[in-house]
Amino acid sequence: MSIRIQASTRETDGPLLELEDVRTHFQTPRGVVRAVDGVSLQLERGKALGIVGESGSGKTILSRSIMGLLPPRGTIRQGSIRFEGREIGGLSRRAMRDVWGKEMAMIFQDPMTSLNPLMKIGAQIAEPLRIHLDMPKALAWTTAEKLMQDVRIPAPGRRLQQYPHEMSGGMRQRIMIAIAMACGPTLLLADEPTTALDVTVQAQILDLLGEQRRDRNMSLLLVTHDLGVVAGHTDDIGVMYGGKLVEMAPTAELFANMKMPYTEALLQSIPKLADVSHTRLNVISGRPPDLVNPPAGCRFSPRCPYVQPRCREEEPPLIPTVEDPRHTYACWYPVGSPQYLETKERRRREAEVAA
Amino acid sequence: MTATLTPTPTPTGTVVYAKARRKVPQLGWMFGAAWLTVLGICAFAANYLPFIRSYDAKIQVNGRAKKYGLGPGWTAWFGTDNSSHDVFARCIYGARQTLIIGIGATIIGLTVGGLLGVLAGYYRGWADRVVSIVVDCLLALPPLLLALLLIQRSDQIKESITAIAWLTRSEEIMITLGILSIAPFARIVRAQTLALRERDFVLAARSVGAKPRRVIWREIMPNLVPAMVTVAVTGLGILIAAEGTLAFLGLGVERPQTWGKMIDASRDDLGKAWWAAIFPCLFLFLTVLSFNFIGDRLARKFDIREAAV
Amino acid sequence: MAGTGKAHLRDQGDILLRVEDLVVEFPVGRTGLKVNAVSGISLDVLRGETLGVVGESGCGKSTTGRAIMQLPRPTSGSVLFEGRQLTEMNGDDMREARTRMQMIFQDPISSLNPRRKVRDIVMEPLSIWKRGTSAERRTRVDALLEEVGIDPQRALESQPHQFSGGQCQRISIARSLVLDPTLIICDEPVSALDVSVQAQVLNLLEDLKAKHGLTLIFIAHDLAVVKNISDRVAVMYLGKICEVAPSDDLYRAPAHHYTQVLLNSIPVPDPNAATARTAIEGEPPSPVLPPPGCRFHTRCPAASDVCRNEEPKLRAIATGHFVACHHPIHGDEVAVSVGQLNSEVLP
Repeated sequence: MSIRIQASTRETDGPLLELEDVRTHFQTPRGVVRAVDGVSLQLERGKALGIVGESGSGKTILSRSIMGLLPPRGTIRQGSIRFEGREIGGLSRRAMRDVWGKEMAMIFQDPMTSLNPLMKIGAQIAEPLRIHLDMPKALAWTTAEKLMQDVRIPAPGRRLQQYPHEMSGGMRQRIMIAIAMACGPTLLLADEPTTALDVTVQAQILDLLGEQRRDRNMSLLLVTHDLGVVAGHTDDIGVMYGGKLVEMAPTAELFANMKMPYTEALLQSIPKLADVSHTRLNVISGRPPDLVNPPAGCRFSPRCPYVQPRCREEEPPLIPTVEDPRHTYACWYPVGSPQYLETKERRRREAEVAA
Repeated sequence: MTATLTPTPTPTGTVVYAKARRKVPQLGWMFGAAWLTVLGICAFAANYLPFIRSYDAKIQVNGRAKKYGLGPGWTAWFGTDNSSHDVFARCIYGARQTLIIGIGATIIGLTVGGLLGVLAGYYRGWADRVVSIVVDCLLALPPLLLALLLIQRSDQIKESITAIAWLTRSEEIMITLGILSIAPFARIVRAQTLALRERDFVLAARSVGAKPRRVIWREIMPNLVPAMVTVAVTGLGILIAAEGTLAFLGLGVERPQTWGKMIDASRDDLGKAWWAAIFPCLFLFLTVLSFNFIGDRLARKFDIREAAV
Repeated sequence: MAGTGKAHLRDQGDILLRVEDLVVEFPVGRTGLKVNAVSGISLDVLRGETLGVVGESGCGKSTTGRAIMQLPRPTSGSVLFEGRQLTEMNGDDMREARTRMQMIFQDPISSLNPRRKVRDIVMEPLSIWKRGTSAERRTRVDALLEEVGIDPQRALESQPHQFSGGQCQRISIARSLVLDPTLIICDEPVSALDVSVQAQVLNLLEDLKAKHGLTLIFIAHDLAVVKNISDRVAVMYLGKICEVAPSDDLYRAPAHHYTQVLLNSIPVPDPNAATARTAIEGEPPSPVLPPPGCRFHTRCPAASDVCRNEEPKLRAIATGHFVACHHPIHGDEVAVSVGQLNSEVLP
């Protein structure tokens, strides 16, 4: 059964992707792992949303939940995922196959293992064209060559006949992007697409993604742990911690006006080129939360340097800031609040005494 | 416009899409473990268990010892064989003999093969070449032929090499099977060693100044154990089946009879007294199956590829 | 681009390690071709200094680290450690020398034997060299574990897979300290860790370095991380050194075009900074057939004929700042001032 709804019933207004209270839990011998625990967000057409978090934050599971690429057994899902107005969260894999490639596509982290080693490059790019768009073989291969040009692979005609092992990591990632773009999806999910690549290649790939996005008016959901990557290539950023979205804002606004202490601490723990060498890095003490038994109250409370008693008891909701309603955060005593400033001053004085 | 606290209510509320389903319970290995435990206890404690008659006990029918006198029934659970012995008791004693041969052969194969494999995998170069040639030769020998040659001619061999003249038939079989199992063990151990020696912790040990022997013993060997155990268990099953085949071909141990020998002795009378051959067959089948189940489970648990076995 | 050249080697000061003309080549199967992983580099490290070696994958930085440790021995070159020539030592002497130079690896979990308890792993070096009694060894190991932030009781009972990546890396650091070495070579120690854990480990390394009087060689691909922890940085490309400079100078005034490219490519967590940066084209050439002349000329915006034919050698352009380039950035000023500097910098 195809879920390609006729144009008349498809919603062209409104957000492209809408998540409402999405939860993904896994049944494991240790208990129920609450990998994604209540995430709501919206993504407009043509916009890029970055999801930032460390390992264990749930960001990868979130992207897989949207795509529907979760293991069939032992997964408990709740919440609503709407793509162009249609509910796709509960669809079976068979139904999702009509969505994958044509409407939504995903590129993964490790280019070494994401391509079929026994299939020629040309065949792998042509495959979605032939399956989803019913293109005849010759036309598909020609289109594949054009796609390779779009992703700036030199000598595409020759490369069509090559196998993945003959290409470098950066090139394989471009091939993956070409395969993902082949049928012109409206949404591209990129799960740590540049983490395994060198920094110069990373810059090329990110530029390429931005270019493709603008040319095709495609939306991008970029999942990464690297704040630097999202800073330059996204319109909005969502920060995840412990399976929840803890802060969400337009990119410039987030960096200018962070509210959640976790986001601030994360930024401060990154060594920056502009710093002098041997700058002491700010450290977030402790470890990511246990997703089977998450802490009561705010999930960041065991590690937050500005924690107050209320944080440990009540979980803060996502509320918008006063300055910008698009900027939401989940904290009882955010950056800039009186209690925060008080604690900060106290710690500064303690550090001075200790020194 | 991005995430906001949406005032629009969800039409469907929370929807549960996929409930967790229980995993299919893996019964195979549990059965295998149970069977082997029971068999093992019976076999090695047979002398003390009251319900197992002694090996030579003859069961009389109507006051006389009769060939194949009784079928399976209350007196003799599996009937009697052509010398009026209790088939059930013989099966149990046969288990003991079979297991001893199997385990002994496995130990020989594992020790020699494992040693060769580790040396070849760790030192590479000449050691690897030599061991590979040896292994290839062993693999090229037709196993059955080798077994036949060695065991049939064993008396003559024992005459010329007095050092091994004390070997009994069962020990000869054990050694022969052991020799035949060296090659597969060596290959698996070599492959694992090759992979392990590139790991960082081996490099770390070397960079601390450990000598090769210590690196092999402390770093590599403990990590070989899962693979070796898995292969040993599966191999045990294969060796037991092999022993059965040899016995069936007339090269079995005379006393106590192994299962293969029992089958061999009773095969001509299959039509007349099926119980004397079928029950040992059943035991053989269940035992090899158990080892296979357990070996499979171990392989899955340790993620071992058994291509070389 | 980077060529062989020793202008940057220092003659004064307490030089702990001095590497000259290091070459490491690996044969490619049986084709007769060689991978030129490291092609004639020279380095030196003063006692108590942290030297950062930075470059992308395939530049030979990890191979350099391992070649210094003689694991495996380099194809040619000299490695002088504490005045002794490592390349000429036999097996036993080398093993003994290794107690004074240790290494930390990239993948924290695979650098620890998965089947042994953590405390045994850390105690292993002491057992190998039979230092102290059992009780003394235990005390030392427990003290070190506490110093790196691992509970000794847990280490006694647990195996590596029960610890997180960051904790495993701390355990590796503890193991490398147990023989009281003078030099530690860190091969991408934080690349596999999360950002917040990375900060913990970097701070830990700085603290331990100060406390134990260590000398570090820090190999990584992340220039920001390297800059944070190093005093001096060497940039490598395709087996050669491009530029050597004090960390702050390298960032402030990069002289080599490759360094500039690296700096431009690093994503900065500041949306206002990410403007008008053109990424470099193409991919690094294969180390099996490296380009002639300057190895970077195929991708360099300033390449000229001389670059294609002649390999540049390292030369001074500022105090302590050396570059191997025919047309370094700020090139005109270089030509004038080099003459003056030569007499100042090279005593």
